Amino acid sequence: MDFPLLIFFAFLVMVVHGFPEDYHIHNSTRHHDYCVLGAGPAGLQMGYFLSKSQRDYIILERNSGPGSFFSIYPRHRKLISINKIYTGRQNREFNLRHDWNSLLSDRPDLLFQRVSQELYPDADSFPIYLSMYVKELGLKVQYGVDIGKIRASESESPRGRGYILVDQHGLDYTCSVLLVSTGMWDPQKVQFEGSDLVEGYESIPLNPEEYKDQAVLILGKGNSAFETAQSILGRASRIHLYSPSPVRLAWQTHYVGDLRAVNNELLDTYQLKSLDGLVEGGLEDIAIKRRGQFYLTLAELLEHPDGKNSTKITAANLPVYHNDNFSLRQPYDRVIRCLGFRFNFSIFDGSARPPSSEVTRGRLPGLTAWYEGQGTPGLFVLGTASHSRDYRSSAGGFIHGFRYTVRAVHRVLEQRYHSNYWPSIKLSVSQLQSWLLRRVNEASGPYQMFGVLGDIILLRGSHCEYLEEFPIQALPQFSSLSGHRVSKHGLLVLILQYGLNPTDSLGPGRAESEWTRAWRSNFLHPVLYYYDTLPSEKDLRHRPAGWPLPRPKAVHHMVEDFLTEWDGPISHSQPLRRFLEHCLHTDLRAFYAESCFRFSLTNRKPPLFCRQGYLRKHGVVGNSHLWQHAREAGLMPSEQEYASPDVDPSFPDYLTRAGASVSSAINVDF
Amino acid sequence: MAWFICLVIFLLCSNYGHCTTRNASKTIEHTVDNSFEKIRSGKTCFIYFGNRVNPTISLFIEQLEKSADALEDYGISVAKVNCTIEHVAKYCTGEKLMKKAYLFRGGDVLKSFDTDTVFDVNAIVSHVLFTVLFDEVRYVHTADELQAVERAAKGKADIVLGHVQVLGLPEHRALMETAFVYGAKYQFVLTTGGPVLKNMGVGDPWSLAAGLWFLHCKGAFQSQHTEPCPHTALRRPLTTLHIYTFLQLMEAPLVTEAFVEPSEVKVVHSHLQVPLLFLFSQPNTVALDRVTAQTLASRLRGQVGLVLIHRESPDVKTPVEYNAAYKLPGKASEVKYLTLNNLEEVVDLFRDERVLKEEVEEDEEDEVGENDYWATLDVLDDEVAESVYRDRGQTLNMDALTELTADRFHSAVAASEHMVVLFYVKWDAVSMAFMQSYIEVSISLEAADVSNMELAVVDCGEWTDICDAQQISSFPTVRLYRPQEPPQTYRGMLGTEGLTRFLMLSRVVSPVVLSCPDEVASFLEGDLYQQHAAVSPVSVLGLFSSTADPGVSVLKEAANALRGETIVGVFADKQAERWAVEYSVELPAILVSRGPEGLMEAHPLHLSTPNQLVTHIQKALLDCFPELTVENLPQYLGLKKPLLLLFVGVEEMERKENRRALQEMRSLLNSGRLIPYLPCWIHLGRTPAGKAVLEAYLGSMPLLPALVLSQLSTGGEIFHYPAGSPLMEQPILHWLQMVEGGNELPAGVIGKDKWEPPVPFYDFLAVMDQEVPGYASQRSPKTKMRPSERDDKEEAEKNRRGIHGNADRRVRAGAHKPQESTMTKPPAPHHHTEL
Repeated sequence: MDFPLLIFFAFLVMVVHGFPEDYHIHNSTRHHDYCVLGAGPAGLQMGYFLSKSQRDYIILERNSGPGSFFSIYPRHRKLISINKIYTGRQNREFNLRHDWNSLLSDRPDLLFQRVSQELYPDADSFPIYLSMYVKELGLKVQYGVDIGKIRASESESPRGRGYILVDQHGLDYTCSVLLVSTGMWDPQKVQFEGSDLVEGYESIPLNPEEYKDQAVLILGKGNSAFETAQSILGRASRIHLYSPSPVRLAWQTHYVGDLRAVNNELLDTYQLKSLDGLVEGGLEDIAIKRRGQFYLTLAELLEHPDGKNSTKITAANLPVYHNDNFSLRQPYDRVIRCLGFRFNFSIFDGSARPPSSEVTRGRLPGLTAWYEGQGTPGLFVLGTASHSRDYRSSAGGFIHGFRYTVRAVHRVLEQRYHSNYWPSIKLSVSQLQSWLLRRVNEASGPYQMFGVLGDIILLRGSHCEYLEEFPIQALPQFSSLSGHRVSKHGLLVLILQYGLNPTDSLGPGRAESEWTRAWRSNFLHPVLYYYDTLPSEKDLRHRPAGWPLPRPKAVHHMVEDFLTEWDGPISHSQPLRRFLEHCLHTDLRAFYAESCFRFSLTNRKPPLFCRQGYLRKHGVVGNSHLWQHAREAGLMPSEQEYASPDVDPSFPDYLTRAGASVSSAINVDF
Repeated sequence: MAWFICLVIFLLCSNYGHCTTRNASKTIEHTVDNSFEKIRSGKTCFIYFGNRVNPTISLFIEQLEKSADALEDYGISVAKVNCTIEHVAKYCTGEKLMKKAYLFRGGDVLKSFDTDTVFDVNAIVSHVLFTVLFDEVRYVHTADELQAVERAAKGKADIVLGHVQVLGLPEHRALMETAFVYGAKYQFVLTTGGPVLKNMGVGDPWSLAAGLWFLHCKGAFQSQHTEPCPHTALRRPLTTLHIYTFLQLMEAPLVTEAFVEPSEVKVVHSHLQVPLLFLFSQPNTVALDRVTAQTLASRLRGQVGLVLIHRESPDVKTPVEYNAAYKLPGKASEVKYLTLNNLEEVVDLFRDERVLKEEVEEDEEDEVGENDYWATLDVLDDEVAESVYRDRGQTLNMDALTELTADRFHSAVAASEHMVVLFYVKWDAVSMAFMQSYIEVSISLEAADVSNMELAVVDCGEWTDICDAQQISSFPTVRLYRPQEPPQTYRGMLGTEGLTRFLMLSRVVSPVVLSCPDEVASFLEGDLYQQHAAVSPVSVLGLFSSTADPGVSVLKEAANALRGETIVGVFADKQAERWAVEYSVELPAILVSRGPEGLMEAHPLHLSTPNQLVTHIQKALLDCFPELTVENLPQYLGLKKPLLLLFVGVEEMERKENRRALQEMRSLLNSGRLIPYLPCWIHLGRTPAGKAVLEAYLGSMPLLPALVLSQLSTGGEIFHYPAGSPLMEQPILHWLQMVEGGNELPAGVIGKDKWEPPVPFYDFLAVMDQEVPGYASQRSPKTKMRPSERDDKEEAEKNRRGIHGNADRRVRAGAHKPQESTMTKPPAPHHHTEL
C-alpha cells in the first residue's frame, strides 16, 4: 500500500519542482538528469531528443563504439530492414515510411542511405551510420562503461526517486531518470536433456564449407533459423527446422518480425522435396543423444522403469523403434539453436527491476503504455526491449518503429519533468480535413507504428488542437501525459491499421476498393475514432476483440489504397468530410464567395466555411469556369436565376464621382 | 320465387362458350339463355342490375369486372344484368336500382350490398367471401366472445384470429381468401378491433390497422378452459402470401435437428423466405441445448426457423468459437456466424429492425430506394470540390509559375525583389480552385509588365519540410517575401482581383515618406495617386508636426501592416499644420483621400498601438454608402448595423428611377439621420447573387428599385419599403420611424440555420453490428464466450487441429510422434521463437 503512495509522492515532487538547480552541482560526481543505457539505435535516438531539448544527459555504452550488436548480428551480415532509397517522392516524411534504418533528426541528409545504397544492407554499415549520427549531432556518449548493477535510490533528497548505476570499476552514476536501451543480448535457451550438445546461433561457424554434406537440425523457425539454413543450403545434406509453432510468414501476417521472404529459400527446397523440411513439436520434452551422430528423441523414452536414466542409448530409446516413419529418425551431424534473444534482467536490483511481461513469455520487461517499467517510476525501456507493448503485432521492436516511440517517450518526459506540453498545432475546423489528409498521406510514425501511435485531435468547437503520434494505449492517462485537456467536444484519434480479418494474402478479394466497405480493408489503412470523452482504462481493457481501441461513438475507415495515396475526392475526401461533419455536428462543405455572400445576407449564421473564410475577408472567389461546373452540377443557382448581367456603363462613373466604395471601383470592368 | 329469379338470370361463368364476354372479362352481361339449371344446382353468384351508366357506375362496373377473375377461383360467378334489355322484376325496379348488388346462392339472396360498400375489387371479394363463409368465420367483438370460441376449439383446432379496422380493404380480402382455403383446418375469427386486441397484447388497438394471430389451441388441454391459448403474432403486413407462409410456419416443427453444415441444411423454412437460425450443440450438452433451442424457437416462432446442429457430426466444420449462425432468405444470402452470450441477444438480433427490414426488402424487391440513397453518397455535394473535380480533364498551365523545391526555396526567395508563394496541397479542392485564380494573376501581372515580381508555388504534399519550416497551417496560403523583411501573409479574398490589387499595391513602399508640401499635394491628388487610382482609389495620409512625434513610428508600423491594402503616406513636418487648419483637425491626424474629386476626410489620431491604428484606418476606408459586392460585403457586415439596402435593377427603363433613388438616399445620408443603419445598395447586374438575396427576403421579386431594411445582426427581421410609395427622403424617414416604432409588419425573417451535416455519415459501426454482430462490441468482463483475441486464436487453432483428426497424439507405445504439421502435444500456441 505504501509503495504506490511513495511513487505518487515522488511524482508530485518532480512535477512541482522539476529538477532542482542543485542537481547539476553533482555532475562531477557523475549525476545526470537523464542516463541512457546503451548506445544502440534507441539510445542514440533518445540522445538526440535530449540533446535537442538541451537536457543534462549521458549515454553510457560498455563497448568502444555505438551499435555493437550489429558488429556481430545478424551472423550472416545481411540486414533485412528495408533501405528503399528511391520512392519517386521528395517528401522526407513520406520517404521515412520506406527507410527502415535511419534515425530521426532535423538533418535532412543524416540518413542511412549515405552509408549504404543496398535494399538489404550489409550489417557493418549500421555501426558506421550510428557513429556518423553521434558525431554530426554531437551526442554525449561515454564508451567503455559497463554497468553491472542498477538499483533505485529511494532517497529523502528533493530529487525523489532516482537510479544508481554501478560500472565495472565500481563507480556510481546517479540519474533521476533512467532510459534503458540495452537491447536484447542474451540468447534464448531451452533446457532439455542434451541441450549442452547444441551449438548456438551466436557461435556457429559461418563458413558454409564446414557444413559440407552434413545433416543439420536447427531449433527455431524464425529469421535467424532461416538465415542460418539459407547460408548452408548449398553445402548441408539435410536441413530440418524444428520448433513448436508453424512458420509465420511476414508477408502474410504483416509483422516484420515473422519470417521475411528474403530469408525463406528453404521453403522452396522443402516444398520441392529437396531433402529439407520443417517439423512442429515441443522443445522442452525432446532430448538430444550422441551415438556417433546426434539423435533426436523424447525425454520420456529415456525414462527407465527403475526411475534413473541410463547414459547408454538403446534402440528402444529412439522414437523410430516405436514409430517406423518418425520424421526425425535420421541422425544429425549438428544441432543448432536459433531461438532468438531475451532481455537481460540480471543487472537490475530488485528495487529497479521491471517485471517480465507475460505476452512475451518472460523474455521482455513489462511496461506501461508510455514505456515506463511497471513499478519502476522514472525507469523507461526503449528500443527492442520495449517490444512487449506491441509484441508480434507492430514495429515497436524494430528501428523503424521504436524511433517514433522514443520520440513519444521524450515528449512524455518533457511534459512530466519540464511542464512542456505535448507539441500541438491549432487548426481551424475548416482546415481539419486537409490536415488529416496530409497526415495520412505522408506521416511515417503512425504508418510504421500502426495500431500503436496515433494522432490525437482535440475538438474545441470552431478550432482544434492537433497532436501527433501519441501512444494510444495511454489514452486514459492522456491529460497527465500530454498536459492537454479534453473538452466537451470530445476527440478524434487517427491511426493506421491492418485489416482485422486476415484472409488469403495473395488470393482474390484480398483488397477492398469500395469505400463503403472500407472497414473490411485488409491492408494498412487510416481509421478515425471519435470519442466524446476520454476512454477509461476499463473501456480499453474491454475493447472489442482484435481492436486497438475501445468502441468509439463513431468510427471511420478510409478504404485501403493500392498506392497508399488517400486523396480521391469521392472515395477518400468526401466520406471523411461527412464523418467529420457528424463528429462536429456541422456542415463542413466549402463554398465560393458568391454563395457565402448569399448565405451571409440571408442567414444570421452562415456555414462554418463562410464564417472562417469569407466573413474574415478571405473567401474563395473562383472563376466563371468553375462556377459553371458548380451550376451544371446544380450546386449553385444557375445564371438564369439571376438577372441578366447587362450592365449600364454610365452607372459606375456616376458613383465613382459621388465617392463610391473601394471595391466598386474594381467593378468598373464588369 | 327464387326459382323465378334464377330462371331469368343466367350465370354461366364456367362455360364461356355460351357467354358473350366483354373485354375478355368474366363478367357476364346477361342475355337470354336457359341455363338456369346451373343456378338451381346451388352455384353462388354475385349480380348487379342496372339500367343506365353514369361515371360512378361505370367505375363500379370496371371493378366488378375485375372481381370476376378473383371470385372465379372460389367458384363464384359475377354478372351484371342490363335492365333496359332484360327486365327482371323486383331487381330491375325500385329506388334501389343502380345502387345495389346481390349475392345469390342456390337461388336465394344471401345478401345485398350497397355499391358504396363493395366499391372496388378488394371490397367485393372480401365482402362476398365473408358472406359465403358466414358459418366458418366467426365474428367476435368482446374478449368473452373470443374466449368462448377458444374454449370450443381447445384440443380440436388452432384458431386464426384476424383483425381489420375497416372491412373491405386488401387486408380483409387477404384474410377471407385464406379462410376460404383453410377454413376447414383452422377456426377463423374476425374482429374489427377494441377489447379483443388487448388480449393479444396490443397496447393501443386504434393504432393497429390490421393484424393476425395464431392461437395454439389444438395442443392446449381442454381442462384448462380458463387459460387463453398461447398465441403467435404475424409480424408482417397482411397479404395472402404472408399469411400462407405464416400458417406453414405454424405447422413446421419448432426445432429441426441437423448433422451438416448450416449452408447444407434444407428445411421448409428456406422455401418460405424465412431467416434460419442455427445453434450448435455439443455432444455433452445435447439435452440442455434442446431445451434452449425450444425456448428460443417458441419466442421467435413465425419469424425465424430454428435448426439445432450437432457438432459431433464430422460434416460440421464450423469453428468452435461460434455457437450460432444465421442465414437470411434468398439464395445469394450467406451464412453469418456469431458468438452469442445469451438468449436475449438472439431475440434482439431478429427483432432488430435492420434484419427485418432487409427481409422485407427482399420480399418486395424494393431495394431501389435504398440503392438510390447510397448512390447519392458518391455524388460530390461540395460546390468547390465538385467544380474542381469536373475540371479534372483540364491540365492547369503552370508554366508562368515557378515551382519551388526544398533546394531552391531559400535562394529563390532571397533573389527576388517580390517573391509571391502559394502553398497548396493537391487534394484540397479550395487550393486547386484558387490555383486557377493564381494562374490568372500571373498572366495579368505579365500583361501589366510587372517585372520585379515572381509568382511561385510550393506543393506541401511533396515539400513538407518547407511548409513546416514556414509554419503553414492552412491551405491555400499566399505569402509575399521581400529580401530582409518578414514575409507577409495575404489575408484578402482568394480571387484574381483581390490578389492582383494586393500585389500591385504591395509594390508601393508603405508608408510613402513625404518630405515637402509639394509631395503631399502630389500624393493626395497628383501623379502618385494617378498611378494607383485603378487599384486603390482611396489613400491615407498621416500628418505630424514633427518627426519626433511618437505617433510617426506607430503609423509606420501600421502602414507596413496595411501594405497591399491601401496606400499610406506620412508627412512629419511643421508645415503639416497647413492641412490641419484646412480640414479643421488637430495634429497628429490622418487624411483619407478619395481622389481628386472625392471628399477629403480628416480624423484626429490618438491611438497608441499599431493594431488599433490599423483597425482605425480600415474603418476610415469604408464608404458611408457602399455598393455591396461579393468581395466587399464582409467589411461592411463587420459593422453589425442593420442594412438599409437598396436593390437596383439593370433594365433600361429602371435606370432613371435608380439614379433618382440613389440620389435621394445620399441626401438622406447627408442629413445624418441614418446613423443607426448602414445604407448600402446592390446592383443586380454586377452582383447577380443579390437577386437570390432579394427573393429570399421577400419571397418573390418586387418591382425595382426596392428598398429593404435587413436586421441581419439583431432580430433577423426584414422590412420592405412599400412598393407603391415614392423613394423620397421624407417617406423613407417616415417608414423607418414606423419600423422603429414597431408599426410595420416584417416582410420576412432571416433564419438562423444550424448548418447541420447535409447528408448523414456512413455509419460503419452500424454496418459492422449488422454484418458481423459482436465484432464491434466491447467485451464484457464476465462472459466466457468472448475471450481475448489470443484465446480466440487458440480456440481456432485447436479446432483446426481437431479437423485433422489428431486430437490424441499419443502413440500407444508411449512415444510422441513429432511430424509435419502435427504436434507432440498441444504446445503453448504462441511460443515465439524469433524476434
